[in-house]
Amino acid sequence: MTTSDDAVAALTVEAPPVAQRRSPWRLALPVGLLAVPMLAFLTYFFFYPALVLLLSSIQTQDSRGIIGRPFTLSHYARLINVELYARVLWTTLRISIITSALATVLAYPVALVMVKSRPVVTRIITLIVIAPLIVSVVVRGYGWQLVLQNGPKGMLNWILMTLHIVDAPISVLYTEAAVVIGSLHVFFPMMVLPLASALGKIDPNLEDAARMLGAPWWKVFLRVTLPLSMPGFVAGFTLVFSLTAGSFVIPAILGGASAVMLGNLIEQQIFVVYNWPFGAAIAVVLVGLVMAVNGLSMWLLEGRRLRRPE
Amino acid sequence: MDERFSGFGAFILYSITASMMLFILAPLLLVMAVSVSDSYFVTFPPQGFTLKWYAKVLQDRDFLEAMRLSILLALGTTVGSLLLGVPAAFALVRGRFYGLAAIKGFLLSPLIFPALVTGLALLQVLTKLGSQDARINLLIGHVVVTSPYVIRTVVTSLQLVDENLEDAARTLGANRLTTFWRVTLPQIASGVAAGGLFAFMVSFDNYPVTMWLANSEYSPVPLVLMRQLVNVFDPSVPAMSTIIILMAMVGVLLLEKLVGLRRALAA
Repeated sequence: MTTSDDAVAALTVEAPPVAQRRSPWRLALPVGLLAVPMLAFLTYFFFYPALVLLLSSIQTQDSRGIIGRPFTLSHYARLINVELYARVLWTTLRISIITSALATVLAYPVALVMVKSRPVVTRIITLIVIAPLIVSVVVRGYGWQLVLQNGPKGMLNWILMTLHIVDAPISVLYTEAAVVIGSLHVFFPMMVLPLASALGKIDPNLEDAARMLGAPWWKVFLRVTLPLSMPGFVAGFTLVFSLTAGSFVIPAILGGASAVMLGNLIEQQIFVVYNWPFGAAIAVVLVGLVMAVNGLSMWLLEGRRLRRPE
Repeated sequence: MDERFSGFGAFILYSITASMMLFILAPLLLVMAVSVSDSYFVTFPPQGFTLKWYAKVLQDRDFLEAMRLSILLALGTTVGSLLLGVPAAFALVRGRFYGLAAIKGFLLSPLIFPALVTGLALLQVLTKLGSQDARINLLIGHVVVTSPYVIRTVVTSLQLVDENLEDAARTLGANRLTTFWRVTLPQIASGVAAGGLFAFMVSFDNYPVTMWLANSEYSPVPLVLMRQLVNVFDPSVPAMSTIIILMAMVGVLLLEKLVGLRRALAA
C-alpha cells in the first residue's frame, strides 16, 4: 500500500490554485488538512502495526521469546506442510465458501421481496434482517448453541422428534454445519443489503418490457433481473466471505474442536503457545485470503463496468 | 401483494423469505424465553416462569463492572471516532487534492481488514511501546475500527448538502464557524448521529479487537460473557444475553428514527 505516501504528498500541495477559489470553504483553508489527524492516527495505529506484524511473520523467535533475525519463511511453510494446520486453512476456506454461497441463494428471495413489496412489508423485513446485526455476536452464538443443543432437550431436536422427522436426536452442535449456520445468521444482512440495493436500482421498465414481450417470470428473472443485480451479488459475496473467514467467536462457540478456523488458530498460537512469528504468519495468510477475494471482486466490478451499489 | 410476483414463483419467494425471518429470530427468541425459565438446566420447551436470574445478574459484580467498562469505553470510542472521522469526511467531500480516492481507500481500509488481525497487530506495537493501561489500549483499538463507520455515514450526508446555502449564509455576513454551526451541521446532523451510534454499538459488541487488548482487570461485556459460557455453566447467561438484546433493539430503533436503517447501513 502506497496510499499513505500519496496522502502525505497530496497534503503538502495545499495552496489552492486561483481557478478553484470559488466556494468560501475552499478559499478559507485547505480543507484537505482536516483529514490529517485521522490519517496520522491510522498510519500510526493501523498501517504501521500491520507492517510490524508482516515483518515479525518472517522473523525467528529465540528461547527467551525475543523476535529478530534471521529472516525465514519457515512459518509459512509450516502452515502448509503440517497437516493439522493445513486442515485449518482448508476448513476456513470451505466454511467461508459454503456460507457465502448459501447466503446468496437464501438472500436473493428476501432481497427481491424486500424491494418489490408494499412499504409496510419492506419495513418489517428490513427491521427483522437488520435488528440482529446489532445484537452481540457472542449472544447470537449462544442462541444457536441453545437451538442446536445435542440431545432430546435441544430446540431443533425437540421439533424434529415431535414432527417425527427423526427418531433419535441428531448431533449438529460442534460440527462444521453448526459453524455454517451460525455464520449465516451473523452475516446474512451483509448479503441482503447489497443485493436489495442493486435490485432497487434496476429500472422496472426493463422487466416490464421483457414481460410484455411474452417472457415468463423465470425468464425475466434469469435474463434481466439476475444479470443486472450482479454488482450486489459480488459485493455481498465478498463481504460475507471476508467476514466469515476472519471470524473467531462463532467457530469458538459452535465449532468446538472439530471446526477450528484460522482466527482460532491465531489466538491459540499467541495466547497458548506464545509462538508470535507463527501466529503472525497465519494472520498474514488470512489477510492475503481476504485481500485476494476483495481484489477479485473489485476487478469483476470494474472490469465489467459494473458500479458497486452505493 | 404485487402483480409482479405470481403463481409458483411467488410461492417459492414468500416461503423462503418467511423461513429466513424465522431463522433470524429463532435463536434470539429462544434466549429470551430461556431467560425467564424456571429450570436450572436449559431444556426445550422452557419450563415455568421466574425473574430470579435477572435478580442474580443485577448482583453479579463481574457483569456490572464489565457493563460499566463497556459503556464508558463505547462512549469514549464514539467521541474519539467523531473527532477524527467528521473532519476527515469533510476533507474527502470538500477537499480538492491529488490522491483523494487513495486517501479515502486508506481511511476506509480498517473496514475490510480482518478485525482480529488489526487487534493482534496493535497488541504487538502497544506492547513494544510499553503501553500498560488496557483501557487506553482498548480505546485506541476501538477507534481504529469504528472511525471508518463515521466517515461513511458523514460522507453520505455531506454529499447531500447544498453548498449554495452555505454561500448564501456567508454572503449575508456569517463567518465560517457560524455558517458551519447554523447551516451545515443541522443538515448533516443525522449522518453524524448515525455514525456516532454505529461507533457506540460496534465498540460495545467488539470481540475480535477487544480479546487482544483487554486484561483480567479490564474485561468488557463480550469477553465476560464468552468466558462465562465457554468455561462455566451459568444459568444467568440467558438473562445477561437478553439485557444485551434489549439494549441492541433500542439502538436499532434509534438508528431507524435518525436516518432510516437502510441508508445508515448502505456502503
